[in-house]
Amino acid sequence: MAAVTVPLGRVDAGAPRVTPAQTGSEQAILVVDDIVKRFETPDGVLTAVDHVSLSVSPGEFVGIIGPSGCGKSTLFNVIGGLLDGYEGTVRVAGERVRGPHASIGMIFQEESTFPWRNVIDNVAFPLEIAGLPKAERYDRARHFVKLVGLDGFERRYPAELSGGMRQRVSMARTLAAQPKILLMDEPFASLDEQTRLLLGDKVLQIQQELKQTTLLITHNITEAVQLSDRILVMTYRPGKVKRMVEIKLPRPRTSEIVSSEAFGRYVAQIWGDLREEAGRGMEDEEARKLREGEHR
Amino acid sequence: MTAAATLAKNRYVPAALGVLSFVVFIALIELLIRVGVINRFIVPMPSDIIAAFPRVIMEEEVLHRFLLTAGEAFSASILVTIFGVAGGVLLHRYNLLRLATETWVAAVAAAPLVLMYPLYLVIFGRSALTIVMMGFTAGLAPIILKTLEGLMGTRRVLINVGRSFNLTRSQQFWKILFPAALPTIFVGLRLGLIFSLINIVGVEFLINFGGLGQLINELAERYDLPGTYAAICFVILVSVCVFIIMERLERWLRPVD
Amino acid sequence: MAETGRLTLPASRPFGLPIGPVTALRIAIIVAVVVVWEIVSASGWLYRDVVPSLVAIGKALYVTLADPTFYFHLYTTFYEIGIAMVIGGVSGLAVGILLGGSKFMSRAYEAYLYYLGPCPKIIFFPIMIMWFGVGPGSKVAMGAISCFFPVALNVAGGMREIDKVLIKVGRSFRANTWQMVTKIYLPAMRHPVINGVRLGLGVALIGTLLAETKLSNRGIGFLVIQAYSIFNMPQMYALLIILFVIAIGANTLIGRVGGLDDIKRS
Repeated sequence: MAAVTVPLGRVDAGAPRVTPAQTGSEQAILVVDDIVKRFETPDGVLTAVDHVSLSVSPGEFVGIIGPSGCGKSTLFNVIGGLLDGYEGTVRVAGERVRGPHASIGMIFQEESTFPWRNVIDNVAFPLEIAGLPKAERYDRARHFVKLVGLDGFERRYPAELSGGMRQRVSMARTLAAQPKILLMDEPFASLDEQTRLLLGDKVLQIQQELKQTTLLITHNITEAVQLSDRILVMTYRPGKVKRMVEIKLPRPRTSEIVSSEAFGRYVAQIWGDLREEAGRGMEDEEARKLREGEHR
Repeated sequence: MTAAATLAKNRYVPAALGVLSFVVFIALIELLIRVGVINRFIVPMPSDIIAAFPRVIMEEEVLHRFLLTAGEAFSASILVTIFGVAGGVLLHRYNLLRLATETWVAAVAAAPLVLMYPLYLVIFGRSALTIVMMGFTAGLAPIILKTLEGLMGTRRVLINVGRSFNLTRSQQFWKILFPAALPTIFVGLRLGLIFSLINIVGVEFLINFGGLGQLINELAERYDLPGTYAAICFVILVSVCVFIIMERLERWLRPVD
Repeated sequence: MAETGRLTLPASRPFGLPIGPVTALRIAIIVAVVVVWEIVSASGWLYRDVVPSLVAIGKALYVTLADPTFYFHLYTTFYEIGIAMVIGGVSGLAVGILLGGSKFMSRAYEAYLYYLGPCPKIIFFPIMIMWFGVGPGSKVAMGAISCFFPVALNVAGGMREIDKVLIKVGRSFRANTWQMVTKIYLPAMRHPVINGVRLGLGVALIGTLLAETKLSNRGIGFLVIQAYSIFNMPQMYALLIILFVIAIGANTLIGRVGGLDDIKRS
């Protein structure tokens, strides 16, 4: 049930408290309500996600940023329906999500194109699964191949493409299913800086064109500020919402805007929050390595 | 976590399930035979098979037979190790020879060599020699190929270290190439020895001579059903034990991997 | 022949002939083998006919290939192996997918397959005869049992090697089980599957043929034992040559098919 207030755990003074109603739209298309996800490990019970809530309006671009190990990928899997055994609910357009949902499209961090299929067959895959007739499948797939800027490459195989192009194929594949919500988990992580910037532009362009509701999980602050309408900053494990930042920068986010002072201030603010969490993450990691070494 | 999930994560539960399934299966067969659904002259009752074990072991001098088969396997192993490794070293040393014959050796490795046993029968007679030679022939090619692979796969940088110390060719081989190739050579030895063993027991069965393989054949020809099944189980047991021992040995000899 | 051990080939062409040194060496080896063979054959050093003259073997080859009943036996063997591969292959595939797809099932049952794999399957032949009779049934059973293990083990291993993200993609698009198997598992596993089939063919061949030598009245294995029993050595050599050519050829073919898509995609 959509809560009226969202528990934020450690709330800094002055940090905005966001409620679903405050997102500016009556019908939120995605409501993530008080998710708690725990894992059992040999070291005991680990809380990956600790009372996280979020509400997303149609057409919004929400970035989720946090240090490594903050549970963002867990959150991604929970919203996408690939994980269960959690407390709280996820609703898409009012419907409860209990498993992979037709309205949610996922783009993964790792290379995920099917190496044995060419580009057009990769993109047509979800349509094939859904049982669309061949002609329609290929028409739609071609449209999305064009959208990501890969027309001409339909018959090529992933092995013949660069990393950035392969990610575009994965993107086209997910978009071809025309999901209401696009979930992306660090999709540019394996790419070099320049490709990442270019692809970021492309994603923005597509998102604006399709009015696609998008959730982007990333650890790259600049990327998050460049692409998002709002950014959710998460704490280190157990992952809670540390802050919700609204990015009041005009669209389109040209290179002038990216190099502007306002942009820099957002980045600095978020880094200020993240730095503390990232520091805790590092100490934790070192302590763990020390313990492991002693056991050997 | 649910009870079922906890059970699934436990180390021993799946293994126990495996054993349990086996026991249940055997019990089911026993029941079906007693009831008459399965013809008891085609499938003997498991209880009879188990009863046959001590009888077979005593009367058929299983230990003696086991030693016979083991002896054959041992002779074949020695032969195949010496010639196999030497062959691999030879092919590595003489590049031209390797280029000319490597594909031939690979082809031989893929061929059903065991079908030459009638030929060996003619040449060596119905004797232990046929069996040993068959084991030798079957195990040779994989050992040659793996030895070659190991030697050729030595990392360039290690070879350069040797050259930087001005090692002679012989020193280079014994101190660098050969030790570096040992893990792969052991894999080859394991493969080759397994092929040898399979062929040895198989040929014993086929030519009705030797140790354990012959025992199965003999019991089958006597229509001693429970005995035949018991002997087969025994051979399976021995084969599994040998395999496990070889794995342990390999792991012990290559501690760092 | 140059005793170099260097990694580069001698650039010279021996005797100024238009063939490379490798081919020259191969020809030299073949010629040497032929010469030694003929000498041993003619000398009678090993008792008569164990090493028949190559001419005799050649004649036997010709006679065999010209004999229509040979093809009847060949067809029988092919047919037995074919069915054995289908039965063993499909069941191996199914079991492999089951075991590879579930850690629990793998821990429960895979060890049995792993340790039974290297067992000589021919020892099961008496049981197969009892269950399936003296005809092709028992031979097919031998081939199927032999073929099952390498396929199942390779497929199980292959399942575990599938890039996990590809499975996540399938699930995120809500593919049903059949779609997962046909559109994701099998294509992703094509290399282990082909390798498993290659190994399976090798052992199915052996299992079926050995069974034919032991107890049969048709098939290539039967012909080999028949040649042995009437001491027709040239015939035996001829049959073995034909057999090896077919076996090596089939193995190479499957290998090529397996490597084909790598060439296509690069």
